[in-house]
Amino acid sequence: MQENSVLIVDDEPIVRESISDWLKDAGYQVATAESGEEALEMIEKQDFSVMVLDIRLPGQTGIAVLKEVKTQRPWIKSIIITAYPSAETTAEAKKLGAIDYLIKPLAPDHLERLIRETLGSVGKAPTVTTAVEIRPEPPAVEVVEVKKSLVISKDGLKSIVESLVKETEVVGVKSRHGKYVYDRVASFEELRLDHDVTVMPPTQYLLPAKETLLKFKVGDEAQVEPVTEAAQRAIIGVHPYDVKAIELLDEAFMATNPDPNYIARRQNTIIIAVDCLNPSPKSFAPSMGTRLTETGFDLLLTDIGNDYMVAVGSEKGAELLAKYAQAREPTGDEIVRQKAARDEALAKYKLSLNVAKERLPKLLEESYDDPYWESRTEACLSCASCVMVCPTCFCFDVHDEVSLSLKEGERSRQWDGCMLVDFAKVATGENFRHDKASRFRHRMFRKGKYIVERYGMVGCVGCGRCATACLADIASPLEAFNALAESAGLKEAAARIAMAAEPDTGLYAPRPAELVKVDELTPREKVFEFRFKDGKALGQRPGQFAEVSVMGIGESPISISSSPTKDGTFQLAIRNVGNVTNALHGLEKGAIVGVRGPFGNGFPLEALEGKDVLLIAGGIGLFPLRSLVQYVLDRRSSFGRAVLLFGARSPAERLFVDELAAWSKSPEIEFHETVDRGDESWHGNVGVITTLIPKVDIDVGKTMAVVVGPPIMYRFVIGELKKKDIPDENIIMSLERRMKCGVGKCGHCQINGVYVCQEGPVFTLAQLRNLREAV
Amino acid sequence: MKPKIAFFDFTGCEGCQLDALNLTGEELLDLLNAVDIVNFREVMTERDDDYDIAFVEGSITRESEIARLQKIRDQAKVVVALGACACIGGINCLKNHVPMEEALRTVYGKDAKYYDTIPARPANAVVTVDYYVRGCPPTPTELLKVVKALLLNKAPDIPGYPVCVECKMAGNVCVFERGMTCLGPVTRAGCNAICVTSGRFCWGCRGLIDDPNTDSEKDILQKYGLTVDQVIDKFKIYNTYAEVAK
Amino acid sequence: MTQVNINVHQLTRVEGHGNIVLNARDGKIDELRWEVTESPRLFEVMLRGRYYVDAPHIASRICGICSISHTTASIQATEAAFGIQPSEQTLLLRKLLYNAEILESHILHILFLAAPDFLGVGSVFPLVETHKDVVLMALRLKKLAYNLAELLAGRKTHPISCMVGGFAKLPELGELKAIEARLEQALADLEATVELFKTLSIPDFTRETEYIALKDPKEYAFISGQIASTDAGIAPLDKYLEVTNEFCVPHSTAKYTKNKRDSYMVGALARFNNNHGQLLPRAKSAAKELGLSAPCHNPFMITVAQLVECVHAVEDSISLIDQILTRGLKEENNEVRVRVGRGIGAVEAPRGILFHDYTYDNNGILTSANCVIPTNQNHNNIQKDMEGLVPLILSRPEDEIRQTLEMLVRAYDPCISCSAHLLSLSFK
Repeated sequence: MQENSVLIVDDEPIVRESISDWLKDAGYQVATAESGEEALEMIEKQDFSVMVLDIRLPGQTGIAVLKEVKTQRPWIKSIIITAYPSAETTAEAKKLGAIDYLIKPLAPDHLERLIRETLGSVGKAPTVTTAVEIRPEPPAVEVVEVKKSLVISKDGLKSIVESLVKETEVVGVKSRHGKYVYDRVASFEELRLDHDVTVMPPTQYLLPAKETLLKFKVGDEAQVEPVTEAAQRAIIGVHPYDVKAIELLDEAFMATNPDPNYIARRQNTIIIAVDCLNPSPKSFAPSMGTRLTETGFDLLLTDIGNDYMVAVGSEKGAELLAKYAQAREPTGDEIVRQKAARDEALAKYKLSLNVAKERLPKLLEESYDDPYWESRTEACLSCASCVMVCPTCFCFDVHDEVSLSLKEGERSRQWDGCMLVDFAKVATGENFRHDKASRFRHRMFRKGKYIVERYGMVGCVGCGRCATACLADIASPLEAFNALAESAGLKEAAARIAMAAEPDTGLYAPRPAELVKVDELTPREKVFEFRFKDGKALGQRPGQFAEVSVMGIGESPISISSSPTKDGTFQLAIRNVGNVTNALHGLEKGAIVGVRGPFGNGFPLEALEGKDVLLIAGGIGLFPLRSLVQYVLDRRSSFGRAVLLFGARSPAERLFVDELAAWSKSPEIEFHETVDRGDESWHGNVGVITTLIPKVDIDVGKTMAVVVGPPIMYRFVIGELKKKDIPDENIIMSLERRMKCGVGKCGHCQINGVYVCQEGPVFTLAQLRNLREAV
Repeated sequence: MKPKIAFFDFTGCEGCQLDALNLTGEELLDLLNAVDIVNFREVMTERDDDYDIAFVEGSITRESEIARLQKIRDQAKVVVALGACACIGGINCLKNHVPMEEALRTVYGKDAKYYDTIPARPANAVVTVDYYVRGCPPTPTELLKVVKALLLNKAPDIPGYPVCVECKMAGNVCVFERGMTCLGPVTRAGCNAICVTSGRFCWGCRGLIDDPNTDSEKDILQKYGLTVDQVIDKFKIYNTYAEVAK
Repeated sequence: MTQVNINVHQLTRVEGHGNIVLNARDGKIDELRWEVTESPRLFEVMLRGRYYVDAPHIASRICGICSISHTTASIQATEAAFGIQPSEQTLLLRKLLYNAEILESHILHILFLAAPDFLGVGSVFPLVETHKDVVLMALRLKKLAYNLAELLAGRKTHPISCMVGGFAKLPELGELKAIEARLEQALADLEATVELFKTLSIPDFTRETEYIALKDPKEYAFISGQIASTDAGIAPLDKYLEVTNEFCVPHSTAKYTKNKRDSYMVGALARFNNNHGQLLPRAKSAAKELGLSAPCHNPFMITVAQLVECVHAVEDSISLIDQILTRGLKEENNEVRVRVGRGIGAVEAPRGILFHDYTYDNNGILTSANCVIPTNQNHNNIQKDMEGLVPLILSRPEDEIRQTLEMLVRAYDPCISCSAHLLSLSFK
């Protein structure tokens, strides 16, 4: 085969002739065919190195020919040309191994250069460009070696924008009051793609300030209807650091517990990104690796003077280009200009991290007790401006609102932030992060450590918005990290690509459950027995919790008090402390509530099997522990010795008194109880629960202790258990935090880097030793 | 049995009550289906002194008003302070900075007669207030929110965080970046940052958040060009009673 | 011996607190008083020492219904003191905003406060059953006025965007166009109201008095012009003290006024009597329909004059919006330069002519302020009207006398809490 032989297949004589002449002048051996059939005949007789193939042919289509050629003569390199570009044929051609796809009218020198390069790489692996696709399973990641870059003129971009404006909602960067904001765009002239940074990030379109999750009707049927918005939208002007932030949100909202609202917006959003050539004086994107990006967008533009370099990031992007702009190959000069523009921009950054970002998690871990947190936050207003403007912040709160008729309403979510005073406050009034310093520290740990460790992606993208927004001038993570800078070696967290599973549309929608029985335990505690209306079991593990809704009032996390071994119904024991629990206490048999769940990890039954179990319940700690007690009794042979210790504050506050009586008589379990203070009727033990522990003889080698009770109780009980030398891994506890979404998204239940609703609420003492906020 | 609602006005401009009537036809019908309005001097002639929920507008500036408010507290199961004057004292407190005799002396001159006037104060300086509908005036929906919450027997969902949160949610460019100063960082949200969205700044009419870092806010105001006197002045307008205007 | 003892304590369906007292024996009047018992709020004290930026904000809080009037008067007084001339665009927007207040305040009075008397009920709430359409229409008109004010100034009660020098935020032209459509529909609603009012019987009582209002040669005046009197001709604004002549009375925490006679009237009827020729065409024909012609000396017709002004306000708003849509809107430089000075801002609040008189120092701080409130100026006239009316009705049943007296006071649409606030002060 002659190495410079080219076959030109096109039904138009003028095309065949002009290309043929040019190539012959350049020294190639050229043959032509005017149809697919003719081409295939020629290939049988003669070998070619390169085929230039038109898609639209009479008879067999170009794609069909390509397929044929691939089977018969796989070594022939094909270049597709056409006057009618389309996304489908591009994709198909690429799949079939075409080298490239050029749009007529061709620039013959381009074609020639391409052929030259192609022939130069004969024998090497073909270079292929693929779009980053969103697929249900982990894709065989296609390695991208050379990003496909094309060039469009400013007019070309204008054409894209104006066409999009006709088809869909378009938002882009505009100027307002001397700053830059995202807003609806009606014309190309309104866009300010030379901006440094916007006040609010584009993530507001994927996770808006407020959005409806559910609509519901109040009443006997308590109908609930999930609501998602599926309007199409294009966002223009997204800087690479914001693209990276969106990739993080993709991971957080789509990978596990796929959020239907986020997914609906995300899948209907077109992202047209723009290289940042005018960085804000507060930005430190280069230090966070977010100055440039090769993924996460549909198109990425670099301003190179009269034109834009366009990187195609997805099929959607390719389609836009094909439909609305004349994109062409870049000249070598233009590729150089793009690099120069990016380098020039890099030189403009004023701020940088003094430590490699990979070292941040370790650095932070070691700085947990640093006096910096206290001193830094003296001026903090707890206004959460830093959170509101941050592209990687995504915590939210959920509220119910009803109409004045009280017949129907909506459950919606809105932005929330760990910097606000009440973020970690529970209904009883306890606030797990009640001082500014601990809230600020938590935020910095999220940005530099917890997000990195949980999602494998950068937690702060270095946009500088918080530093600008903070009136007290304390918000910048850069300043915090640099202040704590220390050398430490850390391993780099691997980057992963976000995946979208099928959205779980019922993620936030409670299922109707009927109240079949209510019993009063004490004046402020009742036990409720529910059955789902559809008859299905809750399927809980002991130790898990459910989110219970009274539509219109709200939703509250409640531990499940019955074992799954009781079929059909489940029991929730509830203390009346707040709006929702108060409403629940007012319900009568037959009432319908909404239930989501079960959530959380539950007690580690596998670790308990075959062991002696020492169960210790303080007060309403008995509510979740009861499910484990019932489980152990129902599966008695799976466990060794079973001991249950229960302490109440007074005889009147004892819970489940009938069951307590049954347990104290049962040969299957050793039951001891005490009250903090007795009364005339009480003849049992008096004293705090820790007084019961020394009396119990245990076999340290095979005992697992499970403790549930109010925070104050844990310290003392653990103390007694440690006196018996029970190892940390064998002491199991259940912790309470403010739970809202139950699916690891809204952020309220965090203890350091851990979500209580996901990795908890059950923890071993060994795990808790590493969680500073847990004690 | 529909709860019975009454509106009372003390010393104020009555804007809060009248805004309560700013409903669509549907909303008014829904409201009248849900509650009985039995006492509303400004709009009704009939009056019934047997009511469950009393909305109190205006601050207390006379001895006679103290007794009147206490009587209302005795009758009502729930007392709701409506508007800045009733919640935090409001604009009326500005006169507290001038010694009373000085102001009175020149008001009536030789026609001076005794009429009682005392330093202005909010309703909760006189009686226990159960709920607050804040703002000067409150947003139209906030009154309804409290009514709905009362009907549902739940605590109304009023934010405890500062206006900055709502300002950012609205996509506003920060007031401090536009050459003005603002009390948003220490003022309770719930108004959707309407004044900033309308082009101005926050005057603080909803009162301070529960634990405001007023020292920091005062420093920030000075950093952005106000003198100490001007800073105090800013707090005086609505927060005189909170004693932060010192 | 026939005795009539009427003591209406805290009259209902008026803004603010006032009492009507009538004691008569055998046709002889012992006591007849309109008492204003509102707590004084001492606004001049609140305004003194304030920076000019805060002055309109505080002045607005003088009244919850006519906050736009007070804000505008305050802004105009300040601009006069500083020698600032607002741009044409600002004036158009201000007039449009003002019309929203006239419409809202008048509709509130006509349909919510006064109409119940004519329809034999104690409030608007029973009308929801018997005259549901009327109530829905009233709410619709009120909401329209509210939305118009919202569009221009952020909200109707205590407006936000209007300030010394201009507007902090401009409305979207698209939204102006949309509200214009609703204003067109409002004309039909107002026609229906006119038809309703033709069926009501307005008490027939006349007592001629002096009528004072702003007069502007270019248009039916609300926010511009000079002081006109049916007795005395035109006076410039800076002579307002000589026109109003405030004085104290023992049974009132508000002062009274008088000019050429024992008392004078301000408000919709005073405006009508002075400027009826300048009403826009549809308003003029509404007046004709309703049997209102100048000069009218029946205070019960104030309500009718208000209805005519509603038609005018809507007609004028449509015209203003057309002008704005044609000119377009552009961001203007609202920079303000303060200086020493005294300025008087006068507007026609829904209830009558309102004066704000401010003096500033060279730092833009208010050193003194004086406000003369419309209802202030009507209290004396109410008293005199009662003195003229009671002898004519003293032989009727006590309930009817009381009802008629209440309706008389209500006809004035008094805004009592504004009126009890102040007078000139000087400080040591």
